[in-house]
Amino acid sequence: MTAPAVPADGGPGAVARPAGRKPSVLRQVLARPDGMAGFVILVVFTVLALVPTLLVGPLQTAVTATGPRLAPPSIGYPLGTDELGRSILNLTVHATRVSMVIGFLATIVTVLIGAVLGIMSGFVGGRFDAVTMRIADFFLVIPTFVLAIILTAIIRDVVGTGSTEILGIRLSLITIVIVIGITSWSSTARIIRSQTLSLKERAFVDRARVIGAGGGHIMRRHVLPNVTNLIVANAVLVFAGAILTETTLAFVGLGDPFQPSWGQILDAARQVGAPSLGAWWYFVPAGVCIVLVVFAFTLLGNALDAVLNPKLQARR
Amino acid sequence: MGSRYLLRRVATACFTIVMIVVLNFVLFRAMPGSPERILLGRMPGVTAEVLAQTRARWGLDKPLFPDQFVAYLNSTAQGDLGFSYAARGRPVTEVLAQHLGPTLLLFGLGEILAIVLGLTLGSYSGWKRGSPVDYVGNAISLILYSMPYFLLGMALLLIFSTGAGWFPTFGMLTAGATYDNPLDVALDLGGHLALPLATVALGLIGQYAILMRSSVVETLSEDYVTTARAMGFRDDRVLRRHALPNAMLPTVTLVAINLGYVVAGAITVEVVFNWPGLGTLTVDALASRDYPVLQGVFLLLSVAVVFANLGADLLYGVLDPRVRT
Amino acid sequence: MTTPDGVASAAALAVRDRRRWPLPKLADPTAPLLVVEDLAVRFRIPSGTVKAVDGVSFRMDDGEALGIVGESGCGKTTTALSLVHLLPANGTIKSGRVALFGIDLVPKTEQQMARYRWREISLVFQGAMNALNPVRRIRDLIAEPIEVRLGQSQDAARQRAGELLELVGIPAQRGTAYPHELSGGMRQRAMIAIALACDPAIVIGDEPTTALDVMVQAQILQLLERLRRDLGLSLILITHDLSVIAETCDRVMVMYAGRVAEEGPVRRVFMAPRHPYTQKLLSAFPNIRADRRTLEVIPGMPPDLRTPPPGCRFAPRCPAALPVCVEIAPSEVRFADGVRVACHLYPASDVAPVEPQP
Repeated sequence: MTAPAVPADGGPGAVARPAGRKPSVLRQVLARPDGMAGFVILVVFTVLALVPTLLVGPLQTAVTATGPRLAPPSIGYPLGTDELGRSILNLTVHATRVSMVIGFLATIVTVLIGAVLGIMSGFVGGRFDAVTMRIADFFLVIPTFVLAIILTAIIRDVVGTGSTEILGIRLSLITIVIVIGITSWSSTARIIRSQTLSLKERAFVDRARVIGAGGGHIMRRHVLPNVTNLIVANAVLVFAGAILTETTLAFVGLGDPFQPSWGQILDAARQVGAPSLGAWWYFVPAGVCIVLVVFAFTLLGNALDAVLNPKLQARR
Repeated sequence: MGSRYLLRRVATACFTIVMIVVLNFVLFRAMPGSPERILLGRMPGVTAEVLAQTRARWGLDKPLFPDQFVAYLNSTAQGDLGFSYAARGRPVTEVLAQHLGPTLLLFGLGEILAIVLGLTLGSYSGWKRGSPVDYVGNAISLILYSMPYFLLGMALLLIFSTGAGWFPTFGMLTAGATYDNPLDVALDLGGHLALPLATVALGLIGQYAILMRSSVVETLSEDYVTTARAMGFRDDRVLRRHALPNAMLPTVTLVAINLGYVVAGAITVEVVFNWPGLGTLTVDALASRDYPVLQGVFLLLSVAVVFANLGADLLYGVLDPRVRT
Repeated sequence: MTTPDGVASAAALAVRDRRRWPLPKLADPTAPLLVVEDLAVRFRIPSGTVKAVDGVSFRMDDGEALGIVGESGCGKTTTALSLVHLLPANGTIKSGRVALFGIDLVPKTEQQMARYRWREISLVFQGAMNALNPVRRIRDLIAEPIEVRLGQSQDAARQRAGELLELVGIPAQRGTAYPHELSGGMRQRAMIAIALACDPAIVIGDEPTTALDVMVQAQILQLLERLRRDLGLSLILITHDLSVIAETCDRVMVMYAGRVAEEGPVRRVFMAPRHPYTQKLLSAFPNIRADRRTLEVIPGMPPDLRTPPPGCRFAPRCPAALPVCVEIAPSEVRFADGVRVACHLYPASDVAPVEPQP
């Protein structure tokens, strides 16, 4: 039994549709339960990331710590304390800012590299495309985590650490941003490239009709808007991956104790032996934050995908 | 199987290995410190003569490319990866070999367990789509999927080791223990293996189950499955002989694609449980900036992943006749 | 609803005698091949219950070819699938009778249905890429039901598979090929061979030629015609393409929104359609010999089958609608030339009840 054909979303005509005819993408996403849930969770975390000091005071250090050591949650310390007497609540909230900002910056770098290379590969084709995709496939196959470890170590040793900050993040952690970008661009590039390829097909048909319109004009009006949708959807998933990667890198010792991220807290917890000591309050809060944020991004990514690619959803 | 398919895959794998070696060389030269120091580390008894020999063998007084590169290739092919700093000058290859076994055990068993359980759970979920089992299974899988492996490990450690006392807290075997017979060894090993294995397996099961489920759901709506049901076959025949052979294909691909990522997870899990494998080695080497070892681990793991991918590709060629042409 | 005849004609019985395998144990040897009475099928979806098939009746005799035609969503495929209980999980046969050789299949359980599936009724789907299991060889797809359902050995099954392939015009050696190695036309032939594996009484073809180009379509239809003649096969052809029905079928049933609009011998229905929907359907097909004219389009959409209107379901779009059409559903009347119509334009009282000719 054939279902009535779903009119294809997309095609050059879709781009030219005047704004306001369809509810905005954001509204559609929020209409879905998974989109709404993801969005709400992320808003909460964004707020925490923007004004941590407002909520829990300045980041406690070994010097300013006043609490008992490794104490379980109590009235004064709702999430307990670490081995230096610092409030875990304080640490975790400040770590939100670090993790989210690093994730954000890393996403920008990754998507920038991936999108630029992807569009160029798809558009230019030929040798450039072949070489770039070989390299991309290489990065997809190898265990980039080990590479990331080595790169971070090398860069840090060569550049040296200090207390210079870019955008409120210490240099040592900026290193992580760059390394994540270098190792994660491949899947973005592949996705953007195949979208560019299919759009290129359609754009040339247009070009045959619209004599006189330059390729650049068509690229801008037809290719770019459709690719933007995909980039945004992809960026959401990249963000989730970036947070996971940063967390894992921090966990193996590449975090910065002066600017703890969630992963760094987990590393500290492990080194103190928190699991074996039963000090669950040390690592559970940061862990829950990580799971929630990644989960939220996944939900949001799902919703975005469903909204932007409706024809993939229609089955017989 | 079409030999062209086979040849193409092997050629790609070889090319990737070449790129890995090149990258390794670049890293090697990018490392801080003089190459001699890197190569010889803190080996005792380094005389000027030894230094000169090393310099000659590795071509360090010759131009970077092609001489040093070729020399590097030579040495690597012969299994000389330099000497570890931290391990007082032991050859890197020896250090790697020592740590390889435990990782293979943990990781290999974990993958097998995850594949078997994940595929089974996913198929069942997909077959009984919409049932309570399906929803619960899906929810759990999604949560596991969002969790870094080591977090899961820490949680399991807390609950089952510290909390319940069922399992030991770290290591592969109880330190300093003596055993009367192989069974005791196996039991001790098993007790230590249980939690890290559970961690690795659970992390993977979530992914495999989700994928298998959606793959089965999609397959079940294909016309050839309806035909199989229309033939009056029993449900298990339809599932086993018609649906699953097709639904499994994306999973094979996923297992292969995933390998690079799983390595990251395996490393961190080992760290949580102090499992004496390549993961712990990597993290220790990182802490002490033992570059030769780090480089060796990268080389080993990358090449291993490439071979595993090749194996998966070949397996896929066996399972799906459409790619063989 | 009129009750069709309860007895098979002599011609039909003659065809039935050429069966390869005995009739099912419960069969009534004098009953007609297939009698469907008042079939009703429902689908449960989140937003309600879809009454996809609502009171469909028809009869088939041995050796006949019945075409079922209608728009997308009119219930033709659902009707066919429900004959062998092949509805998706959210579909149920609410009421009705499906009598195969007099045996009512509706109350049968899954296990009981097994005897009739493929051995009495088999299916051919559209030959799109995934209508054949892509990881199995053609000959194994044919041999499997012979082995499992007929209990033959693997060798005997393979032998028979080879014969069936030759029968549909595929050289037996090509049996070792995989589906993706065959062209569209050959895949369709292969599917027909699979459908014939257990020598069924009825083969149901669901849009079997829709995905093919015209030349191949003609070949497949020729093949079906030949098989009908040589094997005494009975066919139910489901399609939206009237020209296929005109070429291949003896009788045609026009469905709309889950109900039968008109049914009868092909020549009668196509030359002198009575139901307004049938007329519209026929005029929507351009006639290659006639003068050029604007294609007539039927305005509007079929009704939402979650809440179908109480009267005739075509009334909102019918150019000849009377006030009664909106309120009361028309009952079927049978004409002397063997055509059944459900339309208020032909009320029961106007037609003298006459025994229909076989």
